[in-house]
Amino acid sequence: MARTEAMTIRSGLQIAHAGDLTGRMAADVPPSMGGAARSTRRRKFLSDTPWPWLAPLITMLGVFALYPLFYNIWLSFQEFLPRRRSLEYVGFENWATMFADSRMWEALQVTLLYTGICLAIQIVLGMILALLLDSDAPGFGLLRGVLTLTLVVPPAITGMMFLLMEDPQFGLLPFVLKSLGIMDGSGAILSDPTLALWGVILADVWQWTPFMVLIFLAGLRALPKEPFESAMIDGANVFQTFTRLTLPMMWKVIAIAVLIRGIDLFRMFDYVYVMTSGGPGTATYTLSLYAWQQTFSFIKWGYGAALSLFTLFIIVVSANLFVWAAKLKW
Amino acid sequence: MMGSTSREVVRAVVAWLLVALFAFPIYYWITVAFKPERDIFALPPKLFDFNWNLSSFEEVFGISFGFDKGLEVLPGGGNFYMLPNLWASIVIAVLSTLLTVIVATLASYALSRMRIRGQHHFVFFVLSTRMMPPVAIAIPMFFIYKNFGLLDTYTGIILAHALMNLPLAVLLLKSFFDDIPTEIDEAALIDGASRVLIFRKIVMPMALGGVAATAVLCFVFSWTEFLFVLTLTQTSFKTVPVAASTFVTSTGTAWGNMAALGTAAMIPAFIFILLVQRNLVRGLTLGSLKQ
Repeated sequence: MARTEAMTIRSGLQIAHAGDLTGRMAADVPPSMGGAARSTRRRKFLSDTPWPWLAPLITMLGVFALYPLFYNIWLSFQEFLPRRRSLEYVGFENWATMFADSRMWEALQVTLLYTGICLAIQIVLGMILALLLDSDAPGFGLLRGVLTLTLVVPPAITGMMFLLMEDPQFGLLPFVLKSLGIMDGSGAILSDPTLALWGVILADVWQWTPFMVLIFLAGLRALPKEPFESAMIDGANVFQTFTRLTLPMMWKVIAIAVLIRGIDLFRMFDYVYVMTSGGPGTATYTLSLYAWQQTFSFIKWGYGAALSLFTLFIIVVSANLFVWAAKLKW
Repeated sequence: MMGSTSREVVRAVVAWLLVALFAFPIYYWITVAFKPERDIFALPPKLFDFNWNLSSFEEVFGISFGFDKGLEVLPGGGNFYMLPNLWASIVIAVLSTLLTVIVATLASYALSRMRIRGQHHFVFFVLSTRMMPPVAIAIPMFFIYKNFGLLDTYTGIILAHALMNLPLAVLLLKSFFDDIPTEIDEAALIDGASRVLIFRKIVMPMALGGVAATAVLCFVFSWTEFLFVLTLTQTSFKTVPVAASTFVTSTGTAWGNMAALGTAAMIPAFIFILLVQRNLVRGLTLGSLKQ
């Protein structure tokens, strides 16, 4: 494969370049070493202990991830009392309320449904597009470039883009669907309880299918050529080649895409906040939105904290299990 | 092989059509920015033959593009005047990227090069922070920031965005450092160079492309971030995605202005992402897939 060759040549060049640099270093080092004791002291300080290097990161993660996390756990055992205008310790009340809250279970259901549907569509559509675009014919590079366009649109702005396009009165999508005779009546998508979630899914699929395409394309292009040549000689058809060769060889790439996309889908907030605010009814409440609204719209600080922690717990546990089961390495 | 040529043609046609379908919403959004209000709401939609003007952009940027009069600055402060928000977005994205890249470069060099007990667990801890839903951090952060006076400040948002991007940056930069053979470090160490010197003079210059790619991704993620800014700012400033959401009002939505702002917001992010296209997949997969 021309691509693989190019890659080895490039890395070969890189190593040659590196050797060159070391050569220059050897000539460079003595004068700087001959300097003051200051550099020796610094060298001793930093030579082989990693902690000075890691200290800023550990501080940042400690102060801005772990501290808020523990604060959140503490907060979930408190509740704001509007009458006294203060936080009161309420024990496990928020947690008990949460597990008995039917709206929470509905939100969990919506979140899981949303994650599952989006993942399925994005994997299938992404794979089809990746197979289509895996070509060195002229113009395909441009097509791959155009696809990255969707990834840099702020999701909140994507949400508003689709809000306009799905508007029942003057939106493009209801107009097209009605002209095609697929849809009738008011043209409501986002205000229709059964269609609203699909309206949001459309925005997500539009924005993130190219993410899958780019990842799958990178996987496809790194595949060795020989197995496919021998399969062709043995008379395997396209479908057989795909299921017996491409898919098994791509599973790690697919697993990584599913992991990263799955995490982002499960904690999705922007689209529903902008497009539906969870409505109509509870049709598009995701866990993240429900938690956020409980805290900031309904001033149930402790309850929102408990909900957000529950979301965090589900994601971190299932994502880590996935990493372990799929034997992904970082 | 006539069959294979015609198959290639079909493939090209289908590929162009599908990609056009993905590009279409952006095209449509850009036309909305140039349309007068009447044409935005026209049915059937006017995709090509609308009367274009620049009034949406003029209101958003507070500049008049009067062609006979030349460029003229309108008095700022209108409802749709968004230049301060664009500026806030730039300041926050640039400074948070700078902070992220500095902290992450140091840490990932150590994670790639030095022997650390529990290195594996530490990497997984970093990965786990990438998994946390922003809402579970934004809620406590709101109360912590309130206590420390960081609410509604640039510092607060910059720190929040830096935190959000750190896991990505650390894992990605570690993968770039891992690509550089350790023999180089070892040779230099034997020659008596210090770690700091090796880092500055050998490893950093070789990893510069990777650092740039990381910086671009951090910039884009900060630029597009919504939840932290929505939660942690109140009145003093807003970044573009949050500011755009204020165009939805009870008296109707200013679609033209919103599209103008959205169009302006896409351009820098898109230019940046094209610059790092070679490393994009690696970045999106947190360094685990190499292109």
